[in-house]
Amino acid sequence: MFDFLTHDMLAVIWFFLWCVIWGVYFIVDSFSLGAGLLVPFIATDKVQRIQIQRSVGPFWGGNEVWLILAAGGTFAAFPLVFSKMFTFLYLPMMLLLIGLVARGISVEYLHKDDNPQIQKVLMWGWFAGSLLISLVLGVAFANFFKGLEIASGGVYNGTLPGLFGPYALIGGVLFVLMNVTSGALWINVKTEGAIAAKAGDLAKKSTPIVFVLVLVYLAYSFVGIEGFTTNYSTTPALYLLPVLAVVAAILAGLFAKKNKRFPAFCSNLLAFLFVVQSGLASIYPYMLKSSVSLEYGIDIFEAASSHMTLSIMLGGALVFVPIVIIYQLWVYILFKEKIKETEQVDY
Amino acid sequence: MVELLLLSRLQFAITVAFHFLFVPLTLGLALLVAGMETVYYKNKDETWRKMADFWGRVFKINFAIGLVTGLAMTFQFGTNWGAYAEFMGDIFGPPLAVEALLAFFLEGTFFGAWIFLDRSRQKLKAFSMWMVALGTNISSLWIITANGFMQNPVGYEMATDGSKVVMTDFFALLTNSYVWYMLVHTLLSAYLLTAFLIMGICAYHFLKRNNNEVFRKSFSIAVTIALVTAVLLPVLGHGYAQYVAELQPAKGAAMDAIWETGSSVPMYLIQMPDSSTGSNSVQLLGIPGLASFLYTGSFSGTITGLNQLPQAELPPVEMVFWSFRLMTILGSLFIIEALLGLYLQKSGKLYTSDKYLKLLMWSIPLPYLAITAGWIVAEVGRQPWLVYGLLKTANGISSVSTSEVLLSVVLISAFYLILMVFEIYLIRKTVVNATGVE
Repeated sequence: MFDFLTHDMLAVIWFFLWCVIWGVYFIVDSFSLGAGLLVPFIATDKVQRIQIQRSVGPFWGGNEVWLILAAGGTFAAFPLVFSKMFTFLYLPMMLLLIGLVARGISVEYLHKDDNPQIQKVLMWGWFAGSLLISLVLGVAFANFFKGLEIASGGVYNGTLPGLFGPYALIGGVLFVLMNVTSGALWINVKTEGAIAAKAGDLAKKSTPIVFVLVLVYLAYSFVGIEGFTTNYSTTPALYLLPVLAVVAAILAGLFAKKNKRFPAFCSNLLAFLFVVQSGLASIYPYMLKSSVSLEYGIDIFEAASSHMTLSIMLGGALVFVPIVIIYQLWVYILFKEKIKETEQVDY
Repeated sequence: MVELLLLSRLQFAITVAFHFLFVPLTLGLALLVAGMETVYYKNKDETWRKMADFWGRVFKINFAIGLVTGLAMTFQFGTNWGAYAEFMGDIFGPPLAVEALLAFFLEGTFFGAWIFLDRSRQKLKAFSMWMVALGTNISSLWIITANGFMQNPVGYEMATDGSKVVMTDFFALLTNSYVWYMLVHTLLSAYLLTAFLIMGICAYHFLKRNNNEVFRKSFSIAVTIALVTAVLLPVLGHGYAQYVAELQPAKGAAMDAIWETGSSVPMYLIQMPDSSTGSNSVQLLGIPGLASFLYTGSFSGTITGLNQLPQAELPPVEMVFWSFRLMTILGSLFIIEALLGLYLQKSGKLYTSDKYLKLLMWSIPLPYLAITAGWIVAEVGRQPWLVYGLLKTANGISSVSTSEVLLSVVLISAFYLILMVFEIYLIRKTVVNATGVE
């Protein structure tokens, strides 16, 4: 299969797909993470909590699979990167895992028991899980863009505190606020009543902050991160990515202000997508960039699987990813109604 | 290094065993609930709606934990088994990625749809559950395909520098005979576990003299499944065991603790192996030639004994032996219980046979035990190999610090313990209150 493609070409295609899959994951999970980040602060009673839960309930599980696909895809296409990424970032990955488990269980079990105390614990579990996921991913990806402390021979010298530099912290905060904004706009779009209005107001305030953060993060990347501009100099077309990110962030604010909720929601997600892609575009051909010296990084050609594995996986992705997207979109249509306040069904 | 290996293995054992407490019920209940949803859609009989509601509720609680603990499995191949991931990525990665693409998306997406669709859209609700059932069952095929390679490597060649395996034939991975033996065995045991859980819960309500039609109908479905699977498991399992003994002689010999090579090997009903002496410290009530028959298909067949196999490549014999014994004894018990259940039901004495009903209630954990024992036979029996004949377990771990792994073992164990307590509490409450059945 795909014999007309060389191994290097397949590796490049898979790097592109890898960026796409991560991008899709970040945006599809953004609003459910955001809902989790917001729920303890904006839901005043059980009715509103159920509204928020229902606004993400039918979608979050299927959306999270994009993360599993990102991990599984890394394993299949770039085993070396999969191994090193998870080994180097052992504790952050464990935290991410705990966050994912906490979030999932909390959303699913939120109202399975009538005890208000248990419901409260689960609500905070949902929050804590969402926060952990957003932060770890934001910090991790900033570190990927900046480069990990990989010395000669692939030896990792990084430490846990070392991962929390200023750039990484901005990244973490950016991810959290991006998700908060997506969550607010989603709740605003999907629900009716007081909670929708409250979420809408919140989005009006958070979109300008996100815009500033996007600017700061990108400026820091281009000015303060070594080697970030290399690919941009050789391929100036890439500048489209950060430009689109900034434009989308501005649009999100404008739409939110004019109460055009759905366009605001989409713009915010696009801003998120393009910020991440701006970073990913900078590290090519490396997947694990080294901050010590470029040549110590792990590049896609070195990490890629065999021609056969890459082509089988490519065939599988080309056939099944569109099918997945179709039925996931279908579920959004299935649950297109706004969630009213009166509904109190047992989940 | 030794501690790191032990901790890594411990963590894997905890996470996989915990995950697998939820998977079998998901596999079985998904199909049953899908069936119930469909019957209700066709005949609009309220009993079937209540059945779908009640078992669906149990399913929801169980499924959520299976879903989130599955994440740990994917992560761990990278975090704790990095060397393995690099060695095996070319072969092991694709089934995992395909599993996400073909199975997890179906499960995750349609599970959400099924929960939130109300009865006014019953056709879609039933359809969604069928997609969940399809997803979960397809998932088992792919993960067993990945595991199958570890047990019986096929369709590969070693990289020229010997650092990793490279795929040469994807189709061979799928047609690996080990995969199909294992898949059938795993799915049957999952359905058996589901049937016994349903029977146990029904028994609880019969004991309370709650002979609601929901439970009576559920019981008669479950007892049939229990009997069919309980009989098929040893019948097909026999072929599986023979195959395994041929494939991995050390695992085979350890299952019955056969120390010395010989023909017409008896099987002892009472036996206690001792690997320090390389013999059985107790062996009583031997049935002549039975072991030979079970392993080779002929009462006079020859079996290679553990003492004649390479000593550095033996699994922990006692653990494999006792797990195998436990599994087979429980398997026999399941047949008896299922037969008895069918008889009592047909003769109309079921609802008053308190002793039997109590036995059923207490039997709910037994299939879980049997399945875990079976996994120990398959996975511990393969030791010291991680990938049979190609990579030792000791060479598969990540180069992380012992303290990191210790921390994660403690963290995960504590977290999982809380989850389990909460899950049992919720399921128990659902079952005892029989929510929605009255």
